Amino acid sequence: MRRIVQDPVLATALILVVLFIFLAIILPLIYTIRESASAEGLALFQRYLTESVYQRIILNTLAMGVMVATLGTLLGFIFAYVQVKVKAPFKRLLHFIALVPIISPPFALASALILLFGRNGMILRGIFGTRCFWGEGRSCNDIYGLDGLTIVLSLSLFTVAYLNLKGMMQALDPALEEAATDMGANKWHIFRTVTVPMLIPGIAGSFLLLFVEAIADLGNPLILGGDYEVLATRIYVSIIGLYDTKAAAVLSVILLLPSLTVYLVQRYWISRTSVISITGKPAGTPQQITHPFVRWSLVAIVLAVCFLIVLIYGTIFVGAFVRVIGVNNDFTLQNFDFVINGIGSEAMTDTTTLSAFATPIAGLLGMLIAFLVIRKTFPGRAALDFATMLGIAVPGTIFGIGYILAFNNPIELTLPGIGNITLLPKLTGGRAFLGGALAIVVVYIVRSVPAALRSGTALLSQIDPAIEDASISLGADNAYTFRKITLPLIRPAFLSGLIYAFARSMTTISAIVFLTTPQTKIMTAQILNEVENGRFGNAFAYCVILIGIVLVAIAILYLTVGSSSGAERTLEGGA
Amino acid sequence: MSNQHSLVLENISKAFTQRGGTLARVNAVDNVSLAIDKGEFITLLGPSGCGKTTTLRLIAGFETPTTGRLLLEGKDITQQPPNKRDMAMVFQSYALFPHMSVFENIAYGLHIRKLPRTVIQQKVEGVLDLIGLQGLGNRRPNQLSGGQQQRVALARCLVMEPRVLLFDEPLSNLDAKLRVQMRSEIHSLHKRLNITSVYVTHDQVEAMAMSDRIVVMNSGHIEQIGRPKDIYRRPISRFVAGFIGRANFIDTMAEAVNDDLVTVLLLGKTLTVTMMPTAKVGDKLTAVLRPEGLELRADATLKQVVISQAMYLGSEVEYIVSTGEETLIVIDNDPRASHIFNEGETVGIDFAAETVHLLSN
Ligand SMILES: Nc1ncnc2c1ncn2[C@@H]1O[C@H](COP(=O)(O)OP(=O)(O)OP(=O)(O)O)[C@@H](O)[C@H]1O
Ligand SMILES: [Mg+2]
Repeated sequence: MRRIVQDPVLATALILVVLFIFLAIILPLIYTIRESASAEGLALFQRYLTESVYQRIILNTLAMGVMVATLGTLLGFIFAYVQVKVKAPFKRLLHFIALVPIISPPFALASALILLFGRNGMILRGIFGTRCFWGEGRSCNDIYGLDGLTIVLSLSLFTVAYLNLKGMMQALDPALEEAATDMGANKWHIFRTVTVPMLIPGIAGSFLLLFVEAIADLGNPLILGGDYEVLATRIYVSIIGLYDTKAAAVLSVILLLPSLTVYLVQRYWISRTSVISITGKPAGTPQQITHPFVRWSLVAIVLAVCFLIVLIYGTIFVGAFVRVIGVNNDFTLQNFDFVINGIGSEAMTDTTTLSAFATPIAGLLGMLIAFLVIRKTFPGRAALDFATMLGIAVPGTIFGIGYILAFNNPIELTLPGIGNITLLPKLTGGRAFLGGALAIVVVYIVRSVPAALRSGTALLSQIDPAIEDASISLGADNAYTFRKITLPLIRPAFLSGLIYAFARSMTTISAIVFLTTPQTKIMTAQILNEVENGRFGNAFAYCVILIGIVLVAIAILYLTVGSSSGAERTLEGGA
Repeated sequence: MSNQHSLVLENISKAFTQRGGTLARVNAVDNVSLAIDKGEFITLLGPSGCGKTTTLRLIAGFETPTTGRLLLEGKDITQQPPNKRDMAMVFQSYALFPHMSVFENIAYGLHIRKLPRTVIQQKVEGVLDLIGLQGLGNRRPNQLSGGQQQRVALARCLVMEPRVLLFDEPLSNLDAKLRVQMRSEIHSLHKRLNITSVYVTHDQVEAMAMSDRIVVMNSGHIEQIGRPKDIYRRPISRFVAGFIGRANFIDTMAEAVNDDLVTVLLLGKTLTVTMMPTAKVGDKLTAVLRPEGLELRADATLKQVVISQAMYLGSEVEYIVSTGEETLIVIDNDPRASHIFNEGETVGIDFAAETVHLLSN
């Protein structure tokens, strides 16, 4: 502690970081909880927890979370298993296709799925001539509801599980499985008794992560839910339709409970029980599965899912270039004209500008917090890490409400004799500071910092702290050391943090849907508008442009931040 | 406290709060006082966890002492941040900056001092010469061998011309042969440049070979400070005797005392040895006998021992012998000159009085 106080730059940085995290994450949460804890709110709690309509909504939310987490983790596992342990054709292509859903503008997948498999869908109606998968009339099972939501959310989220488990499988020491083989165990037995148990932390971690993401999702239930209502959509309706912040706050707290529980379990249980012995470079290559039936079943699943992904993104792409896909397939640039030159152009520039603002801040903030948490000792170090991670553990809609509640009025300090001093201007709603743009940038940052922090801490804890000590011993202060030594060394984490921040900001909806104002238009909110009005062509044009912008940004980041020094290679070589 | 002292530690203690479980505070460094002369090469020696690294990091300023003062050339630097202290540290893991070339690594501290480019160039070249790495300035650290990397780490410090050089087990990552070579290189560099050096190691041979004085540490406190020869010949405790080199400990008793001359009965011989501080008649004492001070001879007048193990090591023969009460190690340093005994043989054991050192219990 004394060390931090002694260095004014470090102390200032720490104070600013703590202040930011408090204002941007903790304060909105406090406001939300306070709003829900009013007398009125408590009455609502009682109502929501006893009335069957609301019990239904809560159950729906949890069911969706469990379904998505199960299917998504299973898909992730199969994809990873095929990549690491099965001989399969086009592995690199399959890997690449599995990465595509990382950039999925909200509504894009759901809209495409509706156009393909909806009651009037090109495939369901067009090819099979039916409106329902089975049943008809009231018992018609169509794409809307839990099944459709599970498919869409699993498809857009399984990549996380896939990358997570692939990394773990590759790090698994093949010697373990070889040892089991030498003892005469067959492959299935090894799979059950060696491979899966070793991966349990990865599987559980992915499951919980997907669960949290799924129950927090707003975009998909909004257009694919039908009468399957979940908490996030209910919160949305409470605000947008009824402007009932009490009800929204109470529902938020109810949604917060499972999210936070899962976050705590993930943080204090899973991360402690990791049995994987990552030895750096595993000796030998993983054994390949050769059993034809097993192998081809797995490959078939992967191929089918990849086909679906290609089909969906193909629909988005084609849909952007035709008048009404499936109905009038004439080529047109009208949709793009609408976005680029028409009403959409403002949203496009606003969103890109704000994301471009938020990205470097989120990336640097993530690295700075990682540096402080891993390298410095100060009271509340663990709390800072915990609070920062809340930025992603808390569902986006809850931040939306928290911001409305906390920042709809300027925060003022009344000093006797001097008058009012504005500490913080009004950030949300009409006549907000910078048309609400500041609030949106802050939300973008809050939602992106956790990923940067995680990759930052992971990498930094592998780097010998003596390297930074050496810099200080040679006369550098903390700030110089951070710029010249730490940051270049954690460049890969910085880069991935930046990419994540930009992609996340461009595609986020739940956290900003209540914060957009007439002066600040956000693409994702515009897409929602188009989808709700059935103008899929415009929506898809938005999506294609959005994907294009993200890809260009990734390329730029790679060229500027990612290249030149080859710090990654040097690190791997180890000094 | 004259100004010939370079670095002075005054009653330095450092307590860490143990994380997890009990919040007990443990003194990693316990009331350490030490005055280091200008140009002296001093070694902190002790078993793992005895607080050597912590002491060094306290000197460097990476840790702040819980109590005590630190003086550099008479000036109190206890509260000075590490980057403002005129010291440089060589780390066990080399800690080179992997994203910089050898040249940039060495020039790093000079850049911070804002020296002109030409001066930096000149100084770096000079120090590269000094450590025998001419022409390798453009290499990356990972393109160097372990020994070369450690040389760069040393050069990076030397180029700063610090008042104090700090070393934390700099050779422990090198293989045995290279360790011996680097040891003598550091030794001769020190002789040439005469920079006050504090060197941490748990290798007693390294400590003996390089140091002007050795500080033997044990669970946070200083056991003994002294020249290598004094520490080896006159350890003040069983711990020091056992840690520096190998030793046989034999229980005995003060039969007679005359000032600082103490008479004891040892392995069948009565002898008189100087002891400081002296003992009282009847005191229980421990005699320290170095293995190479013992000698085996086929001589029936001597105390008889049975050889339970004989290991021929080329330059010496190592015996484990039993007197009946004690098991002793005997090293014969000149196996060419004397007879080599076999396991199971019974022989006489002898020693010279001046090789015996007495400790009070
Ligand atoms: N930051 C810290 N927090 C808590 N305890 C610490 C810390 N640093 C060191 N210690 C404890 O202080 C004691 C002394 O540690 P130190 O690293 O100085 O030992 P050492 O003599 O250098 O050992 P080694 O030869 O293994 O390097 C140990 O018990 C260690 O666990
Ligand atoms: Mg140490």
